[in-house]
Amino acid sequence: MIDKPAPKKRKSKAPPGPLEENDRPTVNPPFDIEAFARAATAPPASGEELNTTLPPPPNLDGEARSQRPTLTNEVELEAARARSAQPPDPAGRLPSGMLAIANLRSPSALPPSVPSSTSPPSGATPSPSNIEAAVLGAIQGSAPAPEITERTIEDPVAEMRERASLGDYTGALEMAELILAADPASLEAAECVENCRSVLENMYAARLGPSSGVPVVVVPQAQMQWLSIDHRAGFVLSLIDGFSTLEMIIDVSGMQKLDALRILHALVQQRIVSFKS
Amino acid sequence: MEKVIGIDLGTTNSCVAIVENGVPTVIPNRGGYKTTPSMVAITEAGKRLVGHIAKRQAITNAENTVYAAKRLIGRKWSSPQVKNSVATSSYRISQGPHNDVRIVLRDKEYSVPEVSAMVLQEMKLIAEDYLGEPASKAVITVPAYFNDNQRQATKDAGEIAGLDVIRIINEPTAAALSYGFGKNVEKMVAVYDFGGGTFDISILEIGSSGVFKVIATAGDTFLGGEDVDARVIDWLVQGFRDEHGIDLRQDRMALQRLKDAAEKAKCELSSVRETEINLPFIISSGRNEALHLQRTIDRKTLEDLSADLIERTVDICRQTLSDARLDKDEIQEVILVGGMTRMPKIQLAVAEFFERDPCKGVHPDESVALGAAIQGSALIDDKHDMVLLDVTPHALGIMTQGGFFEELIPQNTTVPTHRTKIFTTSRDNQTAVKIVVMQGESERADANELLGEFILTGLRRAAKGIVEIEVTFEINADGIVSVHAKDLETAKEQSIDVTASSGLTRDEIKDMLDNAKDYMVERRTTEEFEAAKQEAEKLVGEIERLLPQVEQIVAASDFGRDAIEKARSIVAKARQAVTRRDAGAVKAEIEGLSRTHRMFKGVVAKTP
Repeated sequence: MIDKPAPKKRKSKAPPGPLEENDRPTVNPPFDIEAFARAATAPPASGEELNTTLPPPPNLDGEARSQRPTLTNEVELEAARARSAQPPDPAGRLPSGMLAIANLRSPSALPPSVPSSTSPPSGATPSPSNIEAAVLGAIQGSAPAPEITERTIEDPVAEMRERASLGDYTGALEMAELILAADPASLEAAECVENCRSVLENMYAARLGPSSGVPVVVVPQAQMQWLSIDHRAGFVLSLIDGFSTLEMIIDVSGMQKLDALRILHALVQQRIVSFKS
Repeated sequence: MEKVIGIDLGTTNSCVAIVENGVPTVIPNRGGYKTTPSMVAITEAGKRLVGHIAKRQAITNAENTVYAAKRLIGRKWSSPQVKNSVATSSYRISQGPHNDVRIVLRDKEYSVPEVSAMVLQEMKLIAEDYLGEPASKAVITVPAYFNDNQRQATKDAGEIAGLDVIRIINEPTAAALSYGFGKNVEKMVAVYDFGGGTFDISILEIGSSGVFKVIATAGDTFLGGEDVDARVIDWLVQGFRDEHGIDLRQDRMALQRLKDAAEKAKCELSSVRETEINLPFIISSGRNEALHLQRTIDRKTLEDLSADLIERTVDICRQTLSDARLDKDEIQEVILVGGMTRMPKIQLAVAEFFERDPCKGVHPDESVALGAAIQGSALIDDKHDMVLLDVTPHALGIMTQGGFFEELIPQNTTVPTHRTKIFTTSRDNQTAVKIVVMQGESERADANELLGEFILTGLRRAAKGIVEIEVTFEINADGIVSVHAKDLETAKEQSIDVTASSGLTRDEIKDMLDNAKDYMVERRTTEEFEAAKQEAEKLVGEIERLLPQVEQIVAASDFGRDAIEKARSIVAKARQAVTRRDAGAVKAEIEGLSRTHRMFKGVVAKTP
């Protein structure tokens, strides 16, 4: 049995679709979540009956679920990972993108200082159902939030297969690495690691553009220390000198290619880095 | 006339120069730097990195990054310097099949000349990019103390890199050549060379006929600017530990950044009095909070941190002058070489010791390569009035009774040459003598380098000291040493030819040469593909940017719809060619892409 470091909320077993949309299994419910959330948390008008439980009916106007934008993506996940590693916010303040946290996973290759997926941090990643309860508890502010506990995975190999089949390559990679840590001879896990890495590398590489592109730091030096990035991203940032190409930076980073690509992509998404035109 | 490049193959940095229209010039590399780190790395993906790019990942990929290969070149596995390197290097050093040294990178074994060849190949490429034509002839510099094996190993490295090494010259000689270029000097000079990894002091006599004679040379092969960097790193690490209780040395990424920042600060402090070291997000704390390192270092601190290192260089200078029985006032000029000599404190220490201001007329990083280029130019230019002579870098002789070394050919003797001496037997009724051929300057044989040995038998039985044996040393124009021993009474003789060896066989060198050629072909192909890919991707991007506008324009008219389909097809074909990494196909598609791009631009421009 392997402890699952960062459980995810499994919505449905939708068939894998195009990579961009389906690399995360999380999909929006077929209604406007934002409007629903506002309605759910807004104070009731006088004389109006409180409507808290039922979501609006699904909008079945023909738009395929896979074509909708997903709530989470790799960038949000990176941010969520960073947030989850930080001390909890003061009571009453909700982190943005709570559903993203419900789907967060630890990165596939963590630095030693970051709690590894096999030894979850003390404020361990909560299970989806508990998160929802905790959120509700925090919103209501009346009762203390229920204790957040880890969820365990009974069959990691099945979990790995499932994640891979759902197109959740990051999650599948994480599971495969856990399996390999326990059983280095597992051919299936090794193959899964290779496949997932390849897919994810291609995905990030495609998003970042040509390997000959030259990244530049767009945040002024004086403002650098106010950014919300970790030391690994800080290291990658230090390699960006305005002359070195993307390929060179990946070569000199000394990291696994996937990790370097993921960090660079996150830096681009956070508008800390852009590419010379 | 073919140009000869001069290469300063340094321990930490290398430099390539050429004489153009009579002017010695250093050739910058692709990054615009005039020196290139003598570092080679193999990435996890098996890619070879040489120069600055290798240096930038030297700590994060320490096991697979070779630096200071020069400390190992041509040395035997059993030598103390190799033992020292094995103990201090982050990469793996193993014993080769001929008692030579091998370096293991990503489970593949490389000989030291092979690694040095990778650096030389890079220097050759830099020269070729600049000249726009192949550069095959080279003069390479080596430290004055290098023995024949080390020189031969450097030559072999040149050969593996595809260079015809027409001469190996001493680094101080090259610096002096650069100093004396265009002047008619006749002086006794000291060359104080404090580089990144080694320190050397050499005393040279520059003769009027263009003869550069090394009178004395000494140094420390494990003392250089990197030691100063290490002191700055220690200072930064200690300060951070005091403040945050975290040891930055535990994190390779942090250490890599510290190394780069320490070197940068050291260089800056040669021209400014203080500088700031700012390393945001250097490490994450236990609470996963990113911490920043921000400190100001001033020149005084740097001088205090490196005071003992500077003092060590002065001690070596003192000892060298003493060994050469020279007084300070006999030195007429002090030439500063090596990046560390930019440090004001070092200039002051040298001036105080030699009691004269050092010459600042030569470039500390470039003078050695420039000198090599000057010599290269002189070697192929008959009109040049400089006389350049090959000399023996070390004395040659044999071992005699009691473990002493008897010199036959002194150091710095011009070759070709030959010398003869008569020896006698050392025991009564001795019928055989062992001739042990050695190279070096020590009176003790065991402190010198063994070149070879042979036995002369059949001597007449007689009391010791009666039988006379004539020993002749001969060095031909190719540097091959022959030693003959002859019983003067019976005329019986034995001989041996001593050729310098890098520790590699001819077959091994040939294989390495073939591998290096294959690598170059692969590299050129990759570069060709990358250039084509870049151009194709740029055009595809432009076409895709214009496509919606063109589609709109075309939709409003009856013409041009097939053009859009054609454009899509060309773009798709180009993408497929890029995916296949087929340089030829990508190049073939570029023409179509260019045409499409021009057409789209024209359509958009003509539409109001």
